[in-house]
Amino acid sequence: MSTHSTRSARDTAQSADILRLENVTKRFGSVTAIDDLSFTIRDGDIVGFIGPNGAGKSTTFDCVSGALAPTSGSVYYRGEDVTGRPQHALVRRGIARTYQTFRPLNDRTILENVALSQVPNSLFSLTDFRADTEERAREICERVGLEEYLSQTPDELPHAGLLRLEVGRALGTDPDLLLIDEPFAGLTSDEIDQTVKLFCSLREDGMTLVVIDHNMHGLLDLVDRVVVISFGEKIAQGTPEEIHNDPTVQEAYLGGEL
Amino acid sequence: MTRRNIESHRIVGIVCLIGLASAPFLLGILTLRQLTAALFLGMFAMSWDYVSGYTGQLSFGHSMFFGIGGYTAAVLNLNVGLSPVVTILAGTVAAGIAGLLVGVPALRLRGPYLALITLIAPLVLVQIVNIYPDMLGGEGGLQGMDLLVAVDEPIGVLSAVGFESAFEHRVVVYYYVALLLFLAIYALFYVFTRSYVGSVFTAIREDEDAVAAVGVDAAKFKLFAFTMSGVVGGLAAATLVHTPLAGAAPERLLVLPVSIEVVLIGFLGGMGTITGPAATGIVFYFVRDTLQASDAVIPLVGLPVGEVWEVLFYSIALLVLFALPRGVLPWLSDLSRTVRDRNDPSAEPISETH
Ligand SMILES: Nc1ncnc2c1ncn2[C@@H]1O[C@H](COP(=O)(O)OP(=O)(O)OP(=O)(O)O)[C@@H](O)[C@H]1O
Ligand SMILES: [Mg+2]
Repeated sequence: MSTHSTRSARDTAQSADILRLENVTKRFGSVTAIDDLSFTIRDGDIVGFIGPNGAGKSTTFDCVSGALAPTSGSVYYRGEDVTGRPQHALVRRGIARTYQTFRPLNDRTILENVALSQVPNSLFSLTDFRADTEERAREICERVGLEEYLSQTPDELPHAGLLRLEVGRALGTDPDLLLIDEPFAGLTSDEIDQTVKLFCSLREDGMTLVVIDHNMHGLLDLVDRVVVISFGEKIAQGTPEEIHNDPTVQEAYLGGEL
Repeated sequence: MTRRNIESHRIVGIVCLIGLASAPFLLGILTLRQLTAALFLGMFAMSWDYVSGYTGQLSFGHSMFFGIGGYTAAVLNLNVGLSPVVTILAGTVAAGIAGLLVGVPALRLRGPYLALITLIAPLVLVQIVNIYPDMLGGEGGLQGMDLLVAVDEPIGVLSAVGFESAFEHRVVVYYYVALLLFLAIYALFYVFTRSYVGSVFTAIREDEDAVAAVGVDAAKFKLFAFTMSGVVGGLAAATLVHTPLAGAAPERLLVLPVSIEVVLIGFLGGMGTITGPAATGIVFYFVRDTLQASDAVIPLVGLPVGEVWEVLFYSIALLVLFALPRGVLPWLSDLSRTVRDRNDPSAEPISETH
């Protein structure tokens, strides 16, 4: 992997924060899914966001992407307070996400699924929806490796294909910050390698990625930094090496595999 | 869809269009009058399909739009003396405002909330009509509105092509009024639903999270669909009360069965197709009218059809729903595809190079 050279090059180039969470808390009734969570994501990094089952990872994505409003605390995107803004508005600002349980549109083809990411958010628009948007949707499908499935429907896709579709649809919105919820679950090691390559190539294009996983297996080659949460609270943050040797993290995983 | 498929759709469409345009010369005058009323039911059904069939946001109270459109036009004409063109416009706008008033709060929330709200809204309106019988006519409804087009004298052209009485002329004129409105509404809905707006609507029906994830404000599109649907339903009803076909009566525009009917037609015809509900609305009207007017007696039980037509009618509707859960139009187009593929196994590759 040649990520180390690019990593240091980027470090000197810029270190601005693209995302900052300050004391974000999200409660569902009496359940506190995230508890006073604060961390920052630097522009251009690939960050692993790990934690055991039910730790609050997806809920954090919900709060950042605008799907849910936090109970308290603030989310800053490129220095601007975007707490509680609706998801569609944040997507237009450059925050895209995938869902842990995939959300394909089963009534249309893969190409049409991805093409949805090209529609304007206005009711009356004269942009020709057919010609160039279809071309763009095709490019995206090729990029994520769906070119052989264009005219198939999502229910004909293997699991890895559905993940690609999630990523493809998110890419169609031209994000600066891409939040990816548990991409590696259920993939073969070949598929994981391909997915890692795809994510690295997205970063080369200047995208910032936050990738959820239960543990660091799939992430080691991929991520620059890691944030670990457990029971809704951040327990560690640092480089993969630092995280690996962190006693709190090891305790949270109860000696299980990190 | 293959090109061949589109081609055959176009041919069916042109045949239907020619048939509708020449109906006055093919049908008896009373049948033509029925067809005129049937076209209005088709318009109501299309307006429902535009929001409920496409976005999946079920409205169980579309009669609220028909009622508001129709009554606004009727009252402004009778009490204020405004001309039909103006009152139709006003009825249309009023229905649109009602769409916003109900839609803004109801569509922010997901799930069956809209269904519940729309179920209740027309009930309120029916009561209002009964509370102000002087102005709104109570249960009997309002009669005697000005006609959109006055046909007092026989029209030269129509006499020349064989229509004799002023009554016949009037029926023919209003048939064409209804047909023009029907086609205009069809074209409008067709253009919107076949554009990116339609693909957003159906995406909302499939998964609102996916829509939000691509940066599209689903609530805005739902509100647009609902309001535009209301505008069109209001327009159709406001026009209807200025024809010789019907006054503004709760029974025709407002009561629950009116709302249920358009839902039923939407499901029967094929939700999210516009064409299906439009055509089914017309057929629906004729089947119902035929049963209602029938003096046949059902063998064995000895009941006259005309008395128990509702039982028969809704039973038939249920059977069709059980047999064709996706509706008639999707079934027909699947069927025609199957038949074509069987007759011409090479259809698929050829269609690409046509
Ligand atoms: N909509 C909701 N309503 C109520 N409780 C919720 C809701 N969403 C999440 N929770 C609860 O919040 C906690 C965190 O859930 P979350 O899905 O964020 O965890 P996660 O880290 O993504 O877990 P996993 O690894 O299993 O995906 C859990 O206890 C969950 O039951
Ligand atoms: Mg999760």
